[in-house]
Amino acid sequence: MNDRSISRRRFVATTSVAAGSAVAAPYVLTSKALGDATTPPASDRIVMGGIGIGNQGKGDQGAFLGRPDVQYVAVCDVRKQWRDEGKDRADAKYGNKDCAAYVDFRELLARDDIDAVHIATPDHWHSVMTIAACQAGKDVYLQKPETLTLREGPLMIAAARRYGRVVSGGSQRVLGDYRSIVDPIWAGEIGNVTSIDISVGGPSMACYLPAQPTPPDIDWDLWLGPAPWEPYNSGRCDGNFGTGGNSWRSYYDYSGGSLTDWGAHHFGGTIFAADLLDLQPTKVTYHPTSADGKDAAYVSVAYPNGTEIFHNRPARLRPEPTLTFKDALRIVGDGRSRPAKPVPAYHGGETSIYGDFIACVKTRQRPFRDLEPAVNTMTGPHMIAIAYRLQRSLEWDRATQQFVGDEQANRFLDRARREPWII
Amino acid sequence: MPLDLASLDAPFAALAAYDWGGDATPFKAIDDAVVAAHGDSTLRTDLEKRFAPILGAGASRAAKEYACRKLMMIGTAASVPALAALLGDADNSHMARFALERIPAPEAAQALRDALGTVPARLQIGMIESLGGRGDAASVPALARLLAGDQNVAVAAATALGHIHTPEALAALSSADPLAGAGVGRAVVDARLATAEALLAAGKRAEARNVYQSLADAVKGKPGAKGVELAATRGLLACLDTLAAAS
Repeated sequence: MNDRSISRRRFVATTSVAAGSAVAAPYVLTSKALGDATTPPASDRIVMGGIGIGNQGKGDQGAFLGRPDVQYVAVCDVRKQWRDEGKDRADAKYGNKDCAAYVDFRELLARDDIDAVHIATPDHWHSVMTIAACQAGKDVYLQKPETLTLREGPLMIAAARRYGRVVSGGSQRVLGDYRSIVDPIWAGEIGNVTSIDISVGGPSMACYLPAQPTPPDIDWDLWLGPAPWEPYNSGRCDGNFGTGGNSWRSYYDYSGGSLTDWGAHHFGGTIFAADLLDLQPTKVTYHPTSADGKDAAYVSVAYPNGTEIFHNRPARLRPEPTLTFKDALRIVGDGRSRPAKPVPAYHGGETSIYGDFIACVKTRQRPFRDLEPAVNTMTGPHMIAIAYRLQRSLEWDRATQQFVGDEQANRFLDRARREPWII
Repeated sequence: MPLDLASLDAPFAALAAYDWGGDATPFKAIDDAVVAAHGDSTLRTDLEKRFAPILGAGASRAAKEYACRKLMMIGTAASVPALAALLGDADNSHMARFALERIPAPEAAQALRDALGTVPARLQIGMIESLGGRGDAASVPALARLLAGDQNVAVAAATALGHIHTPEALAALSSADPLAGAGVGRAVVDARLATAEALLAAGKRAEARNVYQSLADAVKGKPGAKGVELAATRGLLACLDTLAAAS
């Protein structure tokens, strides 16, 4: 629970001492520390570290490393290769060897000099790490999907609010990719959105992969963390973006599958476009496979304003759309008059979600994809997944965060975490 | 049409012999039966009886894990004894909790509470996490005692108490040192703040204000406690906001 301004001063002081002991000139006199026309002085830079630094984490690290107002000082990954490569990228950027590399995220969070972290681990770690980071006084940029279970979201939001932390969800596409549907809807051109069809893969699956020898460069127990213990298999933990069985995104213990992974973008984009960010679904309808077998089962979620989102509704059942986005999104408006509203923008005139986060770290504003609307967004895909697993319709009470009259569905609200991990 | 229970004999025989990497194709029939058991007490009872021996000696860890995943969905009090027997087993304790934590029967919570006093510290943390996840008010006395023990256990106990939100849980947290070291103090603070938030959300403004104020008083001017002071102050302001909104 550090104070950011204090910690940043401490960072400069600590760095000065360390550098001063190694070289003749005090660190504070270098141009990099003082800043220049394009780089703020060290005391005005946000000190950052990254947790989960492979694949998507690598991209996130690059985005933050590229900012002159960020001082990137630490990486953490349970894989040596990702850890070393992440450190090398930071060191190459700054022309030194100063970036620290950790296996255990708790060591990184214990550093008082770090203001903010980005987290791009598999989903089963998100809640544990985000809550711990908030408790440690760090702001957080958290890759989507922000949650793995429905119970995690409110606990994460509470931690962020409790400690006054800026926590941004991590879908860079929500504002970046979907303007062709966002702009006309916010301009009032199609009236109120009545239905949205989203075509994206389904929920994650069970994993029955065989055991393989555990490579020496991975801390397997720490990779698993709060998830059930399973033997190492490269297909279980590969960070590639597939969901067909050769990545962690395929499997129930670590991910919600395509439905919450790529789905986080599609649901995020459409929910933003339709202005549903403050809402959670109230009804989840399971549509079973048709009697003739021609139409596969699909699920829809209804929001309290009347908008309904359909996941993988068969093509022949979809209404004619008013707007489309590629082959993935089909949006129907009621055509009624609706006043135009300005489309929200990233803060500080920034052009990326990374810049939005950093701007908010400086100003303490809520970021574009603040954790609360991000959690709201993900409730839909999580509920859809549960309806598919139970093959029945559900009703949701937002106030109690419970399914109504369905104790079995409520068993899916959370999962027991493997000791010693807690939230 | 009701499921022919005999059709499950072969899949369960395959499960009994299963280990990681084996043929999981037969499990599809069990998966489907577990879903079909909703509203079918005969099938549910039959499935629970079939899973129980899988949890005993002889079946692999992988087979036990599969059984626990399915009992998470359909388990009742009838499955608790077989699951509880695994709580002290380091290899299988977590998966037993995977089921027990989500089974609403009071017997499941009792099994977790009973294990608190018998399992090693690392597994204790798991029991505590599950009891906190259930918001189990009956576990408060046991959790309160653990606040003074092993530091990692104490952190977990404080966190769990922060999920329970009863006056007894708050009393236990209020008697713990918010400045204790090794993360215990931070967990105590966090749990007290969480309880205050729950009180405020329930409209119990005066009680919430007392929690925030006592925390602020306890840490005022103490080294390293600035974050706690800020959080408590933020809470006090929230109480004022609520007061203003109500007036």
